[in-house]
Order: sequence, then C-alpha cells, then structure tokens
Amino acid sequence: MSRLSATVFNEWQDAAGRPRDHYALLADTVAALGPDELCRRWQTAHRRGRLDAVTFYLEPHRFRAAPADWLPRVIPRAHWEVIAAGVGQRLKAINRFLLDLYHGGQDVVPDEVVYTAQHFYPEVLGFHPPHDLFVHLYAVDLVHLGAGRYVVLEDTARIPFGIGYQLETLELVGQVIPEFAAGYDLERYGIRRAYLDLFRSLCGSPSPVCVLLTDGRFGAAFFEHRYLSELLGIPLVEGSDLYVGYDGRVYLRALDGDLPVDLVYRRVEDLDLFVPGLHDACLDHRVVLVNAIGAGAVEDKLVFKWVPAMIERYLGEAPILRQAASYDLTDLESRRYVLDHLDRLVIKSRREHGAGGVSVGPDLGPAARRRAGEHILEQPQMLMAQECLDFSQHMVLNAATGALEGRYVDLRVFAMQDGSGQVTVFPGGLTRVAPAGSRITSLPAGGLCKPTWVLRQELCRIATDS
Amino acid sequence: MRRTPDARTGWANGGAADTIIASYIYAARYGYSASVLHNDNQLRIFPLTDAGQRPVDLQLWTRPQGRGVEYVDRFGNRVRRVRIVAAHDSLVVASAGKVRLATARPQPADADLEEVRALPEAFDYVSRSPLVDPASVARLANEVATVTGSLLDTVNGVLGWVHRNVGYRRGTTGVTTTADQVLRAMQGVCQDKAHLALGMLRALGIPSRYVSGLLTGEVGETHAWVEVRHPRRGWLAVDPTRGVLCPPPCDYIKLAVGRDYTDVAPVAGSFLSRGAASECAAISAVRLAANGDATLAEALELLRGAYVVRHADGRP
Repeated sequence: MSRLSATVFNEWQDAAGRPRDHYALLADTVAALGPDELCRRWQTAHRRGRLDAVTFYLEPHRFRAAPADWLPRVIPRAHWEVIAAGVGQRLKAINRFLLDLYHGGQDVVPDEVVYTAQHFYPEVLGFHPPHDLFVHLYAVDLVHLGAGRYVVLEDTARIPFGIGYQLETLELVGQVIPEFAAGYDLERYGIRRAYLDLFRSLCGSPSPVCVLLTDGRFGAAFFEHRYLSELLGIPLVEGSDLYVGYDGRVYLRALDGDLPVDLVYRRVEDLDLFVPGLHDACLDHRVVLVNAIGAGAVEDKLVFKWVPAMIERYLGEAPILRQAASYDLTDLESRRYVLDHLDRLVIKSRREHGAGGVSVGPDLGPAARRRAGEHILEQPQMLMAQECLDFSQHMVLNAATGALEGRYVDLRVFAMQDGSGQVTVFPGGLTRVAPAGSRITSLPAGGLCKPTWVLRQELCRIATDS
Repeated sequence: MRRTPDARTGWANGGAADTIIASYIYAARYGYSASVLHNDNQLRIFPLTDAGQRPVDLQLWTRPQGRGVEYVDRFGNRVRRVRIVAAHDSLVVASAGKVRLATARPQPADADLEEVRALPEAFDYVSRSPLVDPASVARLANEVATVTGSLLDTVNGVLGWVHRNVGYRRGTTGVTTTADQVLRAMQGVCQDKAHLALGMLRALGIPSRYVSGLLTGEVGETHAWVEVRHPRRGWLAVDPTRGVLCPPPCDYIKLAVGRDYTDVAPVAGSFLSRGAASECAAISAVRLAANGDATLAEALELLRGAYVVRHADGRP
C-alpha cells in the first residue's frame, strides 16, 4: 500500500501496538463494549444517519448514505493550539492578498499564474466587498505526519464544504455511543451563533434577511445545505426562489409577498446560472455574498504555492504550519525535477477539486507513470506537483469482523473571519478516512467521515495513570 | 523567471531606415446556439515585440465588452484575458494597430547541429507538445535529414520535404489535428504543415517553435509557420507552406509563439451556456500603410467577408 516508508504513524497506537495516552480511555471502552456490541452500535449509528438523510450525492440518481466510521479521533490540546494559530494566520493572509489582487497591487504571485486561475475574475477588479473581506468561511486540508507535525495540502476559499458532516457525525456518535466520551473533557462549540454574528456584521444590521442558496436536491452536498439552513434558521432556496428586481435588489419569492434579501450564503459558483443578474447585484453592493465573488482565485492549486509568501508579505510573520512543497511546472528546472521524481510526487490539476485530476506518484504503475510524464510535458501550465507525504493512519472498525484496521486520514479544519477582522477557528474538524489501499480521502472517492474531538485540557496523562 | 522575446537586431539605434509601418486588423466572431451566461477567453491577438517587429499602437475590442487583465505568458506572448458576464448569443473579438517591421532579409547563418542540440531551450522546444509528438514522425525525419551535421542543411531538408510532399487542402483537418495525422493524410493547411515540420525538426533535436501571424498585404486567414533556434542568431523563420527559409520580417506580422497551435490559439477559453458554439468566422488584413487609426466599425466591415465555419470548428 505505502511505498514511501515501511512504518506508518498511527494516531491510535504506538509502534508496539499500545494505545497512545490520549486514546487509553477510548481503547478501554472499545474493549469493554466488545466486537459484537460495537458492530451493533455501528449499525445503529449508520441507520440513524440514513434516517437523517446524511448523504453524499455521487452521480445521477445515486446517493451514498452515512459515509462514517464512529471511532473518534482525539486531537491533543497542544496540537490544536498550533493548528488553530496556523489556520487563522493563513486565512488572514489570504484575505489581505485577495484585496491587494483585486485592487491591482499584488506582486507576490506571478501575473501569469494568478491571472490564469479559473476563479480569478477580472470584473471584480476595483470591487470592495463589505469590510474588504473576500473569504468569510474557509477550510484547510491538513495531514498529520506524527508528533504534532501537521502539514497543509489545500485551501478551500469559495464554498468550504464539510462542516455539516462534521457536526452531524459528532452528534450521532454522542447519541448512539455515549460511552466513548466518558472521562474526556472536550471542546464544545456551536457554529450557529458565530455564523449569525458574521452575517449581521457583514450586513451592518441587527436582523438581516439571509438565505442559503443551494444547487438543489441533486447537488453533492445537499444534506449539508439542509442541515445548515435548519441550524441557522434561514430559508433554503433554489435559484428559482430568488430574482433580481428592476431596482437591482435581490428578492425572495414568498407566499405573502416578495421579500428583499440582504445576504446570500451561496453554495454555488455560477451565480447567474441560478439567479440571472445575481452576479451584478453583488458587484453593485445590492446584496452581500458569502463568500464574496472572486474569492476562488486562491483556490487554484498553483496559487497555493505562494501562500507562505503571502503570510510573510502581508503579516510579516513566518508561517506557523508547514505546507506541502509545491512545484510550478512551467518553470524549466522544476519541471525537470518533477519528471525525474514522479515516484515521490503528487500531480494535481490546477482547476479540479478533491480527488479529481490527482495522480499519486508512488501508487502509479509504470504505464500510468509514463502517461503522467507525457501529460506534464504536454500541459505543464494546467498542472502542478506537490510532495507526496507519508501521513498518519487511524483505526476504523471492520463491521464484518469487529477488528480495528488502519486507514489513512486527513483533517479539514474550518475557520471564519468576521466583519471586525476577528478570526475564529472551529475546534476539531472533519476527519476524512481513505478507503483501504488508498491515500485519497475525499468523500466522492469513497472517503468516510470520522468524529473529531479536541481536548480542552491535557488530560491524557491523568487518564493513563488512573 | 520568464523568457522574454529576443531583441538583438537594429532597434537599439533606431533602425527606422530599414523598416516600414504596416497596419493590421484581426477580427473573429463566434455564434452560439443558445444564450451564453458567461464567456471567459484568453486572447493572443496582439503582435509580439521581437527582433523583426515592434508594435507601435494597439487596440482591442470585445463585444459584449467584458472586463480584462493582461499578462505575458511563458513564451513571451502578450495575452489578454477577457471575461464577459452578461447574456449574449454572439461574441466579437477584434484587434487593430500598427507595427514597425524590419525589411532586411536575415542572412541564414549555419551552425553545428551538436551545438544546437545543447541549447538550454532544447527542453521545452524538443519535447512532445499536445499536437506534436516528435517520436511519431521520427522515422521520416531521419530518412529526410542529411547527415552533414549542418543546421541549415537539415532544416532545408525538412522544409523542402514538407513543402513538396504535403498538399494544401482546406477542410480535411481541424484545430486538433496532430503531426502524425498530417503525415498519414499528407495534406492540410499551413497549421498542419507547420506541425509536421515541427515534429520532424524536434525529432532531430533541433529546438523549434510554432508561430501564428498574418501575411502582409493580404486579406484572409491567419498564417502559421515555424522558427528554429540558432545558437547565435536567435530564432530563424522557416515557412513550410511557402517553402521559404529566413524570409524578410516585413512579410509577416507575428502574433504569438509557442510549442504548437494549442499554445498560440488566438481565442481560447470557455463559456457557460445550455447550448453550444454553432459558428465561427475569423479574418485579418494587413496593409503597408499607416493612415489613421483603425476602428471597430472597420473590423466589423471586414468580418462580413469572412469565411464562416459552422459547428464549432474554431480554425481561423
């Protein structure tokens, strides 16, 4: 499975197979419940997930139900503090960069790179979003190399997805297997208040009319759209529920008359495809868009390479979190290096998301590797290369045998920057588990969600001593 | 960091005595079968600044207008990216301006093939590119090439072979026709001849690039030819369609250079629509005169005479 190294860091247990300190209590609970009871609980939780319609839409008329493993991941306090500081730092730097970019001043990223980013939009030049913030809701994909060394793989700055799955997974495991949390002092938080405060601060009004714009029942993350609209108490709307009036404002069609909308929490990218005129309404300040138009310029996989430079330039700080070394293939030297080291690199399409357009060098056979090399020679400007990291595994329950098995995991952490510039990093995140034999954790590629806990204090020592 | 066009001829000391001014217009129209919501294109329709030519005055229009940014790509082309976010069912793209062109015909200077193969440019311009896989035409290249070790002899061999043996015929090839497909069909237009010549030159280890541009004194389609890298004289023009080595710069206006057509397509991009591209027309004109500034109206007038290609084959 892994040709990078023989020893994989396992979060749950050490090299000798003993549970790590902060997992000792959980391991006791797992042993006390026993394999049969665990498998029963797993099935109960899956069933609850299906009843809640926790789904992920895959392709026409096919939903994947409750993709989760219920054994929690525990993040020690000390690790979390570094993660939170590092994620917040990235978000602040990215917002400063976008403002500079759309006001013609940036010279951190080469023009040829940023101006060819799919979601850089020339018509946004000169536009000031409320409080000069483009990215309000943000997510970072991290992997853990072991011993608290977390590395950034990707940023999501347009439509960060996954926080609904994170919260639902936590809720379900708390209800169905409450024994797991016994003895742990966990960070708790709700996003409801933070999101609503964000919307108020962006609209400059105490009770703005907000809607969540979904791409509909057949959108990949429709479960999350429904979950968030219920949690936040805002209408879940499809494009046909909104229109742009002759006065340029955005209206919600309601039974008792049409209601002017102040803020659209959009979960779609091509605004005019859903609501004709919405794009211009946003640029004319007739409505607030979360996240703002143009935020996606930093989602380009090659622009990513320059995020550490943004942190240094705009914040005058050294990056707190390391990010995966990245290579611009239009540069001759980099391309030569990448072609010579395909066996230890990941090749990504600049434009695609998740597992789309990703080739993991170590997993490629000779023919696939040759094709990847040819693709790089032909389309260097469409691709980028990234170091392939030997990241951590966690345990999942094999529901057929009751045994625990190792699988690669990553961590998507969610953060917010509000109208006052304050950054909030939500404790925990969405742990995604790759299928057996794979390192690709994205949900469409077969990944599972895992409940993720952050310890409020360093309790693990007490746990093992007791 | 980026390669810039090579400029080492007489421009530094004026050079006006050996130059002429030409005005050009390039215009293209795209039609769609249903309304387009947004249209995002990279335009490579500004003349290059390089050894034999210098643009003095350039304009660019798109209708609908849209917003744009400009950057220089890794080949040294000036690219304008224009995004239009407004419903439309046809798109017009046009550029016009004046270009100062050198009139002196460069003396073809020879070089040793080994020296050419060792050039640092070799990597980008001898590797495979989307439409040109040197390996697929290597056998022919080795049959045609002389074994003298001379750059000019080798280039002349390839140039002569393609010029003599590949017939000129429209409508049989498209913008995605590859060099080995041209070899099998043995016919095509200037773009196809350029691709085949590029494949053969690259198979012989000679760094060579694709050039798109306009023929001076003509009204019609854009032209395509090839340039090979000389170790001391910069890039030498080779026109397989006309069978000419080192023509005078004033015969052409160069718009863009790259590895093959995919790097220099005058208009490349994407649009969002429930329909598809239904037709495309492109035309250009170059006059050896510099009277007045061209207008969009002139470009549109010119476009009326353009050959219209149905069904989204964007070949100019």
